[in-house]
Amino acid sequence: MELLKLNIQLFAHKKGQGSTKNGRDSESKRLGAKAADGEFVTGGSIIYRQRGTKIYPGVNVGIGKDDTLYAKISGVVRFERVGRDKKQASVYPED
Amino acid sequence: MIKINLKKDEIIISGHAFYEESGKDIVCASVSTLAIATINAIIRFDSEAIKYEEKNGLDIKILKNTKETKILIDNMIALLEELEQDYPKNIKIYREV
Repeated sequence: MELLKLNIQLFAHKKGQGSTKNGRDSESKRLGAKAADGEFVTGGSIIYRQRGTKIYPGVNVGIGKDDTLYAKISGVVRFERVGRDKKQASVYPED
Repeated sequence: MIKINLKKDEIIISGHAFYEESGKDIVCASVSTLAIATINAIIRFDSEAIKYEEKNGLDIKILKNTKETKILIDNMIALLEELEQDYPKNIKIYREV
C-alpha cells in the first residue's frame, strides 16, 4: 500500500455541501386577485384570495371563512378605496 | 458528524465534522491527521499489514496484527476517544467488537 497524502480536511464539508437547515417552503397558495377591476363576473365567482382582510367585502360581495372574497351577483368588479388606507371589492350589476 | 465504526479488523471513518467550514475545521483536521499518520506509520513498518480505501471517508482493513500495528491502532483509537469527549457533537465512535 502507498503512503497516504496528508489531507487535514479530509472529513471537512466543503461550502454548499452537506446539511443546511434551510431549503424548506410550503406549497404556494396562489393568493391575490382572481378578477380584475372592471371585469364582468358571474355570481359566486371568486374575486380575491387572501389571508386576513387586505381587501374588505364591499357591495354585493361576500367573504368566506378563509377570507376569500366572492361575488354575490353577476356584475362588474370594482376595487374601491375606503377611508385612508383600506380597500374593498364590490360588484355592480351591468346597466 | 464524523462516524467511526470500530469492527474486529476494520475501522471505517465517514461523515463530516461540521465543526467549521472546510479549511477551518480543526476537529476534521485532527481526525484526518490522526488517521493518516497512523496508516502511514503502519505502512512504513509493513506495507502489507494494512489496506485502506478512500471512499466516503476512510475504510481501513487490518491484514496482519503485528505488534506495531496493534500499538498504533490502539493509540489512534485512544486519541479519537479523547477527541470524542471534547467534541461530542462532531465525532461519534461505534464499537462493533
